[in-house]
Amino acid sequence: MKHALPSEELARDERFVRNSFMARAADPRVTAMPAEKRNQRMPLSPDRADGPDAARALMHGIFTGEIQALEGAGRTCWDFPIGDGPDEAPFELKLDMARQCWDEARHCEISVKLGDWMGTEIGEFAESTFLYDAACNPDPVLRLTGVNRALEGLAIDVFNTMREFAEKSGDPLLGYCEDWMLADEVTHVKMGSDWLRRLTADDPDRRARALEFQKVVDKLFSIGGARGEEDDSPIRLARRFRELAGFRTEEIDEIAELSLQSRRELDSYREHAAAKQAAAAAGEA
Amino acid sequence: MAASVSPESFTMVLFDQPAIVAEVERIAALVGVPSGEEVRVVVDEAVPVARAHLASVDPLVLEVEGGAFEDPRHPRQLSEAAVADTVGRLLLQALDRRSAAFGEVPADVDIPLAHRVAWDVYAVGRLQRLGLDGQRQRRIYGFRNRHGFTDVADEAFARLWDGTDLTWADITRLSDDALAARTG
Repeated sequence: MKHALPSEELARDERFVRNSFMARAADPRVTAMPAEKRNQRMPLSPDRADGPDAARALMHGIFTGEIQALEGAGRTCWDFPIGDGPDEAPFELKLDMARQCWDEARHCEISVKLGDWMGTEIGEFAESTFLYDAACNPDPVLRLTGVNRALEGLAIDVFNTMREFAEKSGDPLLGYCEDWMLADEVTHVKMGSDWLRRLTADDPDRRARALEFQKVVDKLFSIGGARGEEDDSPIRLARRFRELAGFRTEEIDEIAELSLQSRRELDSYREHAAAKQAAAAAGEA
Repeated sequence: MAASVSPESFTMVLFDQPAIVAEVERIAALVGVPSGEEVRVVVDEAVPVARAHLASVDPLVLEVEGGAFEDPRHPRQLSEAAVADTVGRLLLQALDRRSAAFGEVPADVDIPLAHRVAWDVYAVGRLQRLGLDGQRQRRIYGFRNRHGFTDVADEAFARLWDGTDLTWADITRLSDDALAARTG
C-alpha cells in the first residue's frame, strides 16, 4: 500500500463527483454578480427561504468531510513508522488515530442517515477534497495540526452551526446527532493539542513550524470568511467548544482574525476583478 | 406551445438555450398550459443562486436566477431536472392563480414563508404524479422546518402532497393548523 496518498487517488464510487477550488475560483459569476449580491453572506437559518436546502448541502459537505477525516487519520496510522524521530509517530499516537478512525467511520454512517432524513442522496452535491489535502504533510506533527486542530476545529464550528440550526427549526434528530458528533470532535481536537505539546516539548522550532502551518490551514478553512465571528458568517466560530477542546483564548482570537483577513481578501479580490471586467467591457464598447 | 428563453446564448454558464426551450415546452404541455400560449423565461446567468419567481401570469413570464437551473454536482452546467422542477412548480402556481375556483392569492411578496412552502408542496406533489422526481423527502424536510416536526405537520404535508383541487384557503388552513400545533 502506498504511503502519502494524494487526494486524486482517494477511492470513491461512481456516485461521487469532485470539484476543485480552482474551478470555483475560475467561475466568472463570482465577479459578474451585481455589486449588492457579490459579497453577500447569510447565517444558516431556517428563516432563510433556502435555509433547509442550504442545510442539506452543508450536511453533504459534512459527510464528505467525515470521509476525508477518516482517510486523514487512517493515513497517519499507516504513513509513518513507529518511533520518536522526526519522520516517525509514537505507537500511542497511532492508537489515538485508530480510535479517531472509528469515530469518523461512525460519523460517516450518521451523516448518511441524516442525509436520508433531510432528503439528500449521496453524491447529490460535488465533493471538494481540500480537507484531505491539508492532511498530507510529510511531518507527522504538522499533519496532526492540519487534521486534529485545523480540520477538526472547523468540524467543531460546523457541527455547532448545524446544532443551532436544528434548535431553531426544532429538528430533534439533527440536533441530537450533531451534539454527539460535536462531543467527539472536541475530543479529537484535544488529542491534537495534547500530542502537539508532547511531540514538540523539546523542539520549539518544530512547534513554531507546526503552529505556522496550522495558521495557513486555518486561513484556508475560513473559506473566504464563510467561517467567522461576523453577524453574517454562515458558519460561526464556536468559541466555547474550542475552549473545551484545549484552544487558548488568544488562539481563538487569532483564528477569528485570520477569518476576517480571509473575508477581506476575498471581497477585495472580487471588487478588483469586477472593476477590471467592467473596464474591459467599457473598452470593448 | 411555444417557449422563449433569454438570453439566447450564455457566456458565464454552460447552458444550452435550445435544451432549456425544449424542456420548458415539454413541462408546459405536461402541466396543462393551453396550447398556443407562449411561456417566456428570463434567466439571470450572473447569479449562482437558486431563486425563481413568476413575474407575470398573463402573459406567462418566469424570472430565474441561474443557480435554479444549475447541476449542484457540476457547477455552471445545466440540469434538465432542475429546469423541470423550477418551471413546473411556477407554471402550476400560475395556473392556480388564473383559476377562479382556486381563489384569490396575495401578491408573492405578501405571502408568508410557511404558506409559500405549503403551496410549493402542493405544486411539487402534482409534478410527481405527472412523472417528475419531486424529491418527497427533501420537500417534507423543508415543510417540517417551517411547520414543526410534529404529526400534525406530517399529516398536513401528506394532504398537500397528495392533494387535488385544493384551494388557496385549503392550503393556508393546512399550513396554519400545522403552525398552531408547533407552537401550541
